[in-house]
Amino acid sequence: MAERKVQVAVDVGGTFTDLVALYADPHTGTQRVVTAKVDTTPPEFEKGVLQVLQKGGVPVGETALLIHGTTVVINAITERRGVKVGLITTEGFRDVLEIARGDRPDFFNLLYRKPPPFVPRYLRREVPGRMTYRGEERSPLDTNVLPGILEDFKKEGVEAVAVCLLHSYANPSHEERVVQEIRRLWPDVPVIASHEITREWREYERTSTTVLCAYVLPVAQRYLDRLGQGLADQGFGGQIYIMHSNGGVETLERTKRVPITMIESGPAGGFLGAAELGRLLGEPNILALDIGGTTAKCSLIVDGQVRIKTDYWIERDRKSSGYPIMVPVVDVVEIGNGGGSIAWVDDFGRLHVGPQSAGAQPGPAAYGRGGQDATTTDANLALGRINPNYFCGGEIEADMDAVNMALDRLSARLGMKREEVARGIIRLANNNMVNALKLVSVNRGYDPRDFTLMAFGGGGGMHAVALARELGMRKVIIPWAADVFSAFGMLMTDLRRDYLITQLISLDTPQAASRLSWLAESLTQTALEELKAEGVPLERARLLYFGRIRYENQEHTVEIPLPPPPYREDSLSQIAQTFHEAYEREYTYRLNAPLEFVTLHLVLGVAIDRLQVPRMPRTGRSLEEAMKGVRTVDFDLEGVQPAKIYDGHSLEPGMAFEGPAIVETKGTTVVVHPGCRAEVDDFGNLHIYL
Amino acid sequence: MKDPITVEIIAEGLEAAAQEMLLVLQRTAMSPIVYEVLDAGAGITDAAGRLVASGAGIPTFVSIIDRAVRAAHAHFGEDIRPGDIFLTNEPSQGGVTHLNDVAAVMPVYAIGRRVAWVGVIAHWSDVGGGVAGSMMAGAGELFQEGIRIPPIKVAEGGKILTHVFRLLKTNSRLPDFLEGDLWAQIAALKAGERRVRELARRYGYEVFVDTLNEILEAGYKRALQGLANLPQGDFALEEEQDDGSCFRVRVQIRPDQFVVDLRDNPDQMPGPYNLYRDATEIAAQMIFKALVDPRREGANAGFFRPLKVITRPGSLFDALPPAACGFYYELRMRVYDLIWRCLATHHPALLPAGHFATIGGTVLSGRNPDNQKAYVLVEPQPGGWGAFWEGDGVSTLFSAFHGETYICPAEVAEARYGLEVERMALNEEKGGEGRYRGGKGFVRVYRMRAEALLTVGFTRTRIPPWGLAGGGPGTPNRVEIIYPDGSIRRLGIASGVRLPPGARVRIVTGVGGGYGARGDSEGR
Repeated sequence: MAERKVQVAVDVGGTFTDLVALYADPHTGTQRVVTAKVDTTPPEFEKGVLQVLQKGGVPVGETALLIHGTTVVINAITERRGVKVGLITTEGFRDVLEIARGDRPDFFNLLYRKPPPFVPRYLRREVPGRMTYRGEERSPLDTNVLPGILEDFKKEGVEAVAVCLLHSYANPSHEERVVQEIRRLWPDVPVIASHEITREWREYERTSTTVLCAYVLPVAQRYLDRLGQGLADQGFGGQIYIMHSNGGVETLERTKRVPITMIESGPAGGFLGAAELGRLLGEPNILALDIGGTTAKCSLIVDGQVRIKTDYWIERDRKSSGYPIMVPVVDVVEIGNGGGSIAWVDDFGRLHVGPQSAGAQPGPAAYGRGGQDATTTDANLALGRINPNYFCGGEIEADMDAVNMALDRLSARLGMKREEVARGIIRLANNNMVNALKLVSVNRGYDPRDFTLMAFGGGGGMHAVALARELGMRKVIIPWAADVFSAFGMLMTDLRRDYLITQLISLDTPQAASRLSWLAESLTQTALEELKAEGVPLERARLLYFGRIRYENQEHTVEIPLPPPPYREDSLSQIAQTFHEAYEREYTYRLNAPLEFVTLHLVLGVAIDRLQVPRMPRTGRSLEEAMKGVRTVDFDLEGVQPAKIYDGHSLEPGMAFEGPAIVETKGTTVVVHPGCRAEVDDFGNLHIYL
Repeated sequence: MKDPITVEIIAEGLEAAAQEMLLVLQRTAMSPIVYEVLDAGAGITDAAGRLVASGAGIPTFVSIIDRAVRAAHAHFGEDIRPGDIFLTNEPSQGGVTHLNDVAAVMPVYAIGRRVAWVGVIAHWSDVGGGVAGSMMAGAGELFQEGIRIPPIKVAEGGKILTHVFRLLKTNSRLPDFLEGDLWAQIAALKAGERRVRELARRYGYEVFVDTLNEILEAGYKRALQGLANLPQGDFALEEEQDDGSCFRVRVQIRPDQFVVDLRDNPDQMPGPYNLYRDATEIAAQMIFKALVDPRREGANAGFFRPLKVITRPGSLFDALPPAACGFYYELRMRVYDLIWRCLATHHPALLPAGHFATIGGTVLSGRNPDNQKAYVLVEPQPGGWGAFWEGDGVSTLFSAFHGETYICPAEVAEARYGLEVERMALNEEKGGEGRYRGGKGFVRVYRMRAEALLTVGFTRTRIPPWGLAGGGPGTPNRVEIIYPDGSIRRLGIASGVRLPPGARVRIVTGVGGGYGARGDSEGR
C-alpha cells in the first residue's frame, strides 16, 4: 500500500475551505477522487485546513503532494490585521504613499475620503541617493542615516520594514545595500525591498506593493509555519506548494519571502484549472466563469494561456481608489453578482441585483435565518431551478415561505407578479454577468462565439446556458466537482514564475535588437540560476517570452508573445508585425508610428510531479437510474416546462440527454435549457451543446 | 412598454457603452493629458441630442457631448448619414471650452433609423496658435489660440476623410500626437456605436426610444427629490479675486427650480480668461449635481432640467466670439467655487470649506536631452481640500473639476521628458486652522536638464482658500522659478517663460480651508 500515491489540494476561501484529493494505485492503475468542504476558520485558517483533511479522510502521512491556496494574505489586509510597518524611501519622496495618485473616482462627491496610507508620516523616512531611469547612479547612496532611522523604528514598535527607492526597477543596487545594512543593524526585523517583488516602474504602485507585503510578512510567515508544523505533526513528509495569483504554484520558502504574491491565490486556481482542463479536452479557447456567493469572476483563455496583469488593486471601486498591488495576477473581471446578491428597488421603481450580498449570515431568505431580502438564489428556487427539497445538498431545508415573502415585498413595490419578479432578478443578474463576459472578450477584440464557456463555482451551472445563449455561444462545459473547482484546478498546476522588468527601448534605433537580447538573456539567466540554486534540474524548465509594447508616446501597452532570444533585425520586424495585428484586433486601427518596448515579461514554468486528471469509471448504470424525477421549471422566455431531474453523482461517461433538464449535485445545480443537448465526457464533465 | 427590467438593462447597457468608450480612449491616446489627466469625456445622447449617459473621467466633461451633437445637427441637418463622424472645437458651436478640446460625435443607426449619438471629447496637446500647447497668456482673440474647427466631417459614410486629417496635422506643432489622439477618439466612437446599435436592435426601435425617455424622466424625478431636501430660499455672495475685481452670484432654490444668476459681473476681457456660455452652464451643472445627487451616475438631460443659468451676453461668463478663452478653466473654477461658497456660507452643514481651487495647469515643452525628441508635458496639480463638519480636509487631491486624474509618477516623467523630479511632498505650511483642519497641499520640484518653455495657469495665488463656520483660511497657490544663480521669480498665469538648463520649477499648492473655530466644543 505504501506505493499508493496521494495528492491533495486545499483551497481556503472566504466562506468554505475546500478539499480535493487524488488517489492512484500504481498496481491496478485505478484512480479515485475525493472532495470535502468545511467552514473557513478565521483567523486561524490552518485549523480549517487540518479539519478538511480529516473530514476527507486523507491519509496525511501517505500524501506526496499538497497544494494550498489561501485567503490569509487578502484577509489580513482587508481586516487590517497586519503589523506596524516602517518605510524607507528616496529623499524627497516619503509622502508618495500618502499623495498616491491624487485621483477621486467618486468625482461629484465633495466629501470624498482618500484611503488612508498603511504607514503614517512619522514612520516614513528618507535616504539620500538617486538613480536615473536608465539605472545609472546620479548621486551616491548615504546609509549613514539608517542607524538613527532604525533606532526610531524600534522605539515606535515597528515590526517590519519596507524599502522602496526611485528607479530601483532599473537598478536595484541601492535597495540591496539598504537591505544589507538593515539586516546588519537589526537582524531580527523582517525586511522587504521593492525589487524583490517587482521590477516595474511607477513609484507609488511599487511603494504600496512593498508596504503591503511588509504589512503581511510576519502574519503570512507565522501562518505558513503553523501550517507546516500542523501537517508535520500528522506525519506529513511530502512536498508543499502554495498557489499564487499568477495561476502557478510556488515553493513554501519563496512564498514566505514574498507572500503578497498569493493575494488572489484561490480564484487563480479555478482559472488555471479551466485552462488545463480545456487543453485536456482539446478546447484551447475558453471563456471561464466562476460564480460564488457574493461575486462572479470571469477571465478569457486564448490558446490555452491565461492572461496575466500586474495592475491589480484592492478595495477599489467607483467610490474609492483603493490600494495598488503590482504583482502578476490572473486577469479577471469581477462583479458583485453571486448567489447571495440582494435584489432591491430604488426610489424610482427600478429593480437592481447586487452588489450587496446576504453573505452566509443571514444568507438568502431560503436559509430561514431571518434574511428578509430576496437574493438570486431565492429567485432560482422560486422558478423551480433549484430543488427546495435538496437545497445545499439537502443540508438545509429551504424556507419557501420566507422566499415568497421576500419576493412579494418586491412585487408590491414594482406592481409585478411574484414569478415575474423572480424572472426579472435572474434576467438582471444574467445581464450583469453578460456585461462582465463582454468586457473580457468583445472589448478586447475577441468574439465569444469562438469560445467555449466553462462555468464553475456554486452558481456557475445555474446561469451558464442562459449566458451562453445571450452571447451566441455554441457550447458550455460544467466541470466535474464544479463547486470545488478552484481546489481541483490547483492539482493541475505547475510551478510558475513571472518575471517582469521595465526597460524602455525604442524599436527603431540601431541598438534595439542587441539591447532587447541582452535584457532577455540576462533575465533568463537570473531565473535559471535561482532554479538551479533550489536544486531543480534545468531541463524541466519551460521559458515563454512576452513583450509589452506601445506606439511611442502612448501610455498603455499591448502584451504580445516574443520568440526566444537572441533577437536580430528580422526578429524585430516580426515582433512589430505581431504588435500591429494585436493592436488592431483590440482597437480597430493601426498607426504608422515608431514602436516603444516597455516591459519584458518572462514566464518560467517547471512541471511538478503530479498525477493526471483521472478518468471516471463506468459501472454500466443506465441513464434512467440516474434520474430522480420530473419537476416543473420556469425557463423564462422558453416558458414553464416539466424538466427531468438527474442526480449528478450518478451520471457516468457516455450518458447523454436533452433539455429541459436539471442536474443536481450536493454543491451545485446545472440548468439545461430546452433545446440543448448534454453529454458526460470520460472525466465526468458535462458538455452542453446549444 | 414600461417593463422596469428592460429599462434597467438598457440603462445599464448605455452606461457600460459610455464607460467603454472612455476606456478605449484612455488606452489608445497619444497625449498624457488624455490618458493620465483624463482631460476627456464620453457620452451618449438620444437622436435629438439630449444626454442620456456619460462616461466621463472627470466631471467637467459630463455634459459637453450633447452640445456638440446639437451643433452638428444644426449645421448638417439632412446631410447626416451612417458612418459619418463630426468634429468641433469652436466654443460657441458645440466646442464649449477652449480650442484644445476637440469633440467628435457619431450618429448611431439601427433598424434603418437614427436612434442615438455617441461622442468623445479630448484635449489635444497642440492645435497651433501663438505658443506651444496653444494656451497663450497674451492672447486677445481666439485666432491666436489655434485652429478653429466649426462642426465639420472627418469621416463620411464610414470613410475617413484624409484631407481633413492633413489640414489638422498641418496646423499642429505635434502632428503625430494629434493623429494618434484623433484615431483614439474614432476607435472609442466605433466601440460605443457598436454597443448602442446592438442594444437598439435587440430591443427594437419603440422600446429603445421609450426607454431613453424613461431614463430622462427618472433623472428629472431624482433631481426634484434632491431639490426638495435642500434649504429653500434666495442666497447671494460677492467675492474679491486675485486681481482685485469682484464676482457676484445669486442662487435661488425652489422645489422645482435651481436658478444661478451671474448677470451682475464684469464685461468680457481682452485676455484668454473668458467663459463661453456653455462652459458657465457646465460649472453650474457640476455644483447642482454635487448638491442634489452626488453619485457618479445619473447625470443626464432630465436631471439638469430644473437648473436655470442666467448670464449677460458680452460678460465674462457669456463671452462672445472672438473672445480668447485658452485659460477658461481657471475662470470656470472661480465661478464654480463662487456658487459653492455662496451656498456653504449660508448653510455650513451642506458643503465643506474651500479647497485650493485651481487647476494648476502646468505646461513644459522642449526637447528630451536623452533622445532629442520634442515633448510637451501638460498637467494639472493636486492640492489641499477643505475641512467639514465631521473631519479634516483631504490632502493632495486634484481639484473638484477632476476625478479620475492621475499624478504622473516621477519615474515616468523623468524617462518621458528627460527632466528631474527632485521632490514630491505634502505642503506643510501653516493654514486651514480650526476645529477641523484643511488638508495639506502639494509640493513638486522639477529641475530642467535642458532648456524648456513654461506655461502656467494658477489662481487663488493671492486670496487663499476660504474657511467655514469660523475656520481659518488655507494658503495660496504659487509657482516659483529658481534660476541657477539662485534668483527666484514667482508666477500665477504666464506663458512661454524660458527656462535655462539647471533652472528649477517649484510648484506649491495651497492648504484647504479650516472648519469651525479652534477650541470649539470637542476641540482637537
